[in-house]
Amino acid sequence: MSDGVLPRVTPRSSFRARLRNFEPITLLWLLLAAVLLVLVAFPLIKLLISSFETREGVFTLGNYATAYGRARYIDALFNSLKLGALSASIAVLLAVPMAWAVSRTDMPGKGFTWAMVMAAFVMPPYLGAVGWILLAGPNSGFLNITWRAITGASDPLFNVYSFAGLATVIALHSFPLVFIFVKSALDLVSSEMEDAANILGAGTFATMRKVTLPLVWPAILGGFIIVFLETIALFGTPAIIGIPARINVVTTQLWQFFEYPVRMEVAAAYAMPLLLITIAMIGVQKLMLSRKGFVSQTGKGGERRQIKLGAWRWALFGWCGLVGTLSVLLPLLVLLQASFAKAWGRGLSLDNLTIRNYRLLLFEHEMALTSVWNTIWFSAAAATIALVLALLVAYIAVRRLSRFADALGFLAMAPFVIPGIVMAIGFYAAYASPPLALYGTALLIILAFAARFLPIAYANANAAMRAVHPEMEEAVRILGGGRLTAIRHVTAPLVKKALLGGWLIVFIVASRELSAAVFLVGPRTRTMSVLLYDLSEAGNFEVLAAFGGILLVVTMVFVAIGMKLAGRDFMLRRH
Amino acid sequence: MSRLVLDGLTKRYGHLTVVDTVDLTLEEGEFVSLLGPSGCGKTTTLRMIAGFVPPDAGRIEMNGQVISAPDNIVPPERRGMSMIFQSYAIWPNMTVEENVGFGLKLRKLPGEEIRRRVGEILEVVQMSHLGKRYPSELSGGQQQRVALARAIVIKPAVLLLDEPLSNLDANLREEMRFEIRRLHNEFRITTVYVTHDQSEAMATSDRIAVMHAGRVEQVDAPHMLYSRPRTRFVAGFIGRTNLIEGHVAGGAFGADGLSLPTTGVEGLDQGGPALISLRPQSLAIHRAAPQAPEGHPVMRATIAERTYLGESWDYVVRPAEGGLRLRVAAQPLDVHEVGSDVWLAIDPRQVSVVAA
Amino acid sequence: MILISKRDFLRASAAAAALGAAGRARAQEMPAHERTLHEAARREGELTWYSGQYNAETSEAVGRAFTERYAGVRVNVVRSTSQVAFQRLSQDTRAGVAQCDVFSSTDFGHYSLLKRENRLLQYRPVNDEQLLPQLRRADPDGYYHTSFMGLYLMAHNTTKVSEADAPKKWTDVLDPRWRDQLAVGHPGFSGAIGIWAVQMRKMYGWDYFTRLERNRPQIGRSSMDPVTGLNAGERSVGIAVPSGTTLLSAQRGNPLRLIYPEEGVLATLSPSAIPRNAPHPNAAKLFMEFTASRYLSDTIRQTFGDPINPMVEPPPGSRAINDLKLIYPTQEEAERGVPEVRELWRDTFGV
Repeated sequence: MSDGVLPRVTPRSSFRARLRNFEPITLLWLLLAAVLLVLVAFPLIKLLISSFETREGVFTLGNYATAYGRARYIDALFNSLKLGALSASIAVLLAVPMAWAVSRTDMPGKGFTWAMVMAAFVMPPYLGAVGWILLAGPNSGFLNITWRAITGASDPLFNVYSFAGLATVIALHSFPLVFIFVKSALDLVSSEMEDAANILGAGTFATMRKVTLPLVWPAILGGFIIVFLETIALFGTPAIIGIPARINVVTTQLWQFFEYPVRMEVAAAYAMPLLLITIAMIGVQKLMLSRKGFVSQTGKGGERRQIKLGAWRWALFGWCGLVGTLSVLLPLLVLLQASFAKAWGRGLSLDNLTIRNYRLLLFEHEMALTSVWNTIWFSAAAATIALVLALLVAYIAVRRLSRFADALGFLAMAPFVIPGIVMAIGFYAAYASPPLALYGTALLIILAFAARFLPIAYANANAAMRAVHPEMEEAVRILGGGRLTAIRHVTAPLVKKALLGGWLIVFIVASRELSAAVFLVGPRTRTMSVLLYDLSEAGNFEVLAAFGGILLVVTMVFVAIGMKLAGRDFMLRRH
Repeated sequence: MSRLVLDGLTKRYGHLTVVDTVDLTLEEGEFVSLLGPSGCGKTTTLRMIAGFVPPDAGRIEMNGQVISAPDNIVPPERRGMSMIFQSYAIWPNMTVEENVGFGLKLRKLPGEEIRRRVGEILEVVQMSHLGKRYPSELSGGQQQRVALARAIVIKPAVLLLDEPLSNLDANLREEMRFEIRRLHNEFRITTVYVTHDQSEAMATSDRIAVMHAGRVEQVDAPHMLYSRPRTRFVAGFIGRTNLIEGHVAGGAFGADGLSLPTTGVEGLDQGGPALISLRPQSLAIHRAAPQAPEGHPVMRATIAERTYLGESWDYVVRPAEGGLRLRVAAQPLDVHEVGSDVWLAIDPRQVSVVAA
Repeated sequence: MILISKRDFLRASAAAAALGAAGRARAQEMPAHERTLHEAARREGELTWYSGQYNAETSEAVGRAFTERYAGVRVNVVRSTSQVAFQRLSQDTRAGVAQCDVFSSTDFGHYSLLKRENRLLQYRPVNDEQLLPQLRRADPDGYYHTSFMGLYLMAHNTTKVSEADAPKKWTDVLDPRWRDQLAVGHPGFSGAIGIWAVQMRKMYGWDYFTRLERNRPQIGRSSMDPVTGLNAGERSVGIAVPSGTTLLSAQRGNPLRLIYPEEGVLATLSPSAIPRNAPHPNAAKLFMEFTASRYLSDTIRQTFGDPINPMVEPPPGSRAINDLKLIYPTQEEAERGVPEVRELWRDTFGV
């Protein structure tokens, strides 16, 4: 009584039968492997090879001799390490109390705190840097002027053009990473842990210090490491603040090697410590997190209650408010003021107001709109490529369709340990020159972005895939549908929403990417971030601020779309 | 309706052989359960039948044609089977009707016929009123019925069920197991049912294949499994029992203070060592020496432990001679204190010999 | 959807500009050589200009003015500091990609080098004869032509420093009383600052910079960066700032005043050139004609640039070039000196 519609079962092993029973998945993973090699492995290998070659391709150690042959270059290396450590420490100090307050206590204004963290995360760091120049220039910054006016002091309150200033500005835009790590770990700590300490006589703050925070210290360390790595790979902020402050770091030094005559091979050699440090740190973090006995592994079960803080809750709220003000509100306010000013030095007054800066950018500037457009479509294309790749790899990895699934997954995650600037140089080394000659093309930037953000896409896709029970697909297959039918009718609709969130995250981080872009853009392919960087040296902060405003509006539009379609916290979920 | 033959079916993962030369034949319209503890290879066997897992050796034939062999796998979608999954795998993005009609749509039946058959089958599983609902709006039992309807509506050659009731609560589980058997009686689809729950297997199956460590230990009708377990594992796994090792000599089975006449016990005619299974129901406790029929051994014993289970008492008694400890099932009203001296009677008709 | 609308928008606005411009161009009656070039350039449709000479605003205005005069030829303006522009060109060359049609830098050395490596297209604009006499025939062989005259001097914030107190000479800023009050560009980025550093070294030796370093100037990237610092009062005195950008900023209401150093104003006479592999050679040639004509000077004057065509008056607030004492290194000194001072600078200032 079986329905005759189905094809008859095939007879025993013949070539045709095998062909008919062949799964297209084999072809797919071969293709994926090839694409991942092109995107991830080859640029790195090429970078490594270049560092040992002269321009003519002869083996040499000369690049390393040059790269580490001057005290100035070595200093830059140590400056980067110091800067990374300081920024990461400040970020931890800023973020941990906020994370504790939001996760464990009855502090008011949690929605506001969330919004601030989100905004600080979305705001491009170099834009914050420009804002802070306006705020904390030692003589002209609004903060310092106000400080002098109130106290009569002659010294500035805070000098942005200093090592501490640079580190603080970086920390103010990277603390959300620590916040996300620590908060999600704290969310898993059962209140019973704290009750146990309370019953033995420990007060709220002693409990926090002695019990709660030690439980999440791997998360704090993880956050520290991520901020450290972000900082040492950051280009924009050190270029904008570091040069006037006379602080040279690895990334600005790398940029110097790209001056005429372009010494890409030396840059490759000089980039190696950045790569090695990153790999080592990620290794350390993995080791730390894999140790048993911490919340990240054992945090299931147990109820979670909010700790009642009494009057202290206002103090904590004050802290969150302060961090939000410093990282988001003040820089935005001052940028907004400058963008509508004829001369920003004249401050706020009606006769100083103008929309000329915006008009110039929107209607007269040949490159401004093109760069907005470039940014949107490069980011969209990169996000799409990254997500499609990530999805296919995640599918193969989660469904274990190939013996090499793990290798594919590893390749997809590998860019996580490659600093953006190193990746850009790798792409330059591998694909800028003939035979491919992609330099200056949109394709080069799109591919570099796609590779750079592949891990984010992969983490998203992997989580989404895991959420779809394999039996959902098997149910289709046993009823007579092929694997593609199953994907089209079941898997795809089920992962749609999660993937949309992942796409938007990649889109947003790509749209503000500078470190990789600055090495790869050509005259027609400048992105907003690169144009903003170019504008920052043009002696016109009003126009610069206005362009920053446009960049923010564009970003906010996409963040808003993301919140609408993928949930309010889509950027801050930890996968 | 199809005949299914598993011939020397083997699956290895690395060094671990999870399914070990399994032979099993399902007649047309037969309902066979694969029963065993977790990790015994029953689900892997089922997934090999479905075509999700290729065998490393052996083969599966359906109606005389090979559908699985190490180098020749007919993909699941071309086997004409259907399956009910442990997670139900009801697609949350489709309504009940769309879920049920999906297999028919894949067969490119006309829309009118799909609607008719979906309507009929929803009637059968008593879900007609919920056709427009989405799975998230259904209870576990209702989802289970959708899964059943979805599997049956295509009139599969073979129906596979993978622990379909393990996620339901006790009452619902009982209701559904009769539902499954009722549907089988109605449609007579050749069915393979995987479960670790013996009462579920007994209630539904024509025959049960007990699996252990990748091998089929015994295939038999449910009552035969209980009364005539053929291996130590089956005896211990199906119901509770007293396994006693002893020796047959001079027409009697002797073991540590216990002696049973071999007459009337199948398979105890040869001398030598033997292992027997003595069900707790075949032992009776008496306050005074009972009048036992000819050949029913009677002995003095002491109550060692007891547990009240509601429907019965579960006693552990120690015969006065020897060191044996025997489980005895007794009526709720048969109350004996621990330590009291009692008489024990054995009904040898329920004794079975287990392969030693 | 965005794609279509954006493209349509660009096309429509280009068309509108072309329509209006065409009418005006006819009225301005184009000379025959320009008309011929225009025909050819129109077929190429666009050109890419690596602009390291004029500031961003002026560069954009120049691009627009060109398209207005020569309808149908769009200018793709890539404004950056001169060293970055040259870096881009070098990267292009290295990657074997031809993208640049006109290369404009304030660092004279770039041209000698490009010429020596035979990477420039030989073309002498007919309009070269219209330039100020001292600017004509920048290269006897016709590989590059003056397109920019930059005057670099000092400026001060008038609210922080009175005119009387302000430095009068290049050497005045070495006085310790200017500690923490100075701002200057960076020769690693700015071509003009490189030329200026060569000139200062020529006049005072490198000691000038070691002493300048002790006054802790704020170091920007471009020569215009100090203007930003002066506007807000972040710094009081800017060294080697371009007169055009400073005047423009002052005109907008910023409290700035130019200082003409007694030793002389640094003049960078900077040419533009067409790379040999320019993808739009006719448009590039037309652009060269344009730079020499009065129309470029007209355009840059609006943002206080110094005209290079004698038919155009200097911008308000700027002194006429004939009244100024100009200082500048020779071409040879510049070419050899700029790479040297860049390294020296980094060793002295740390960045």
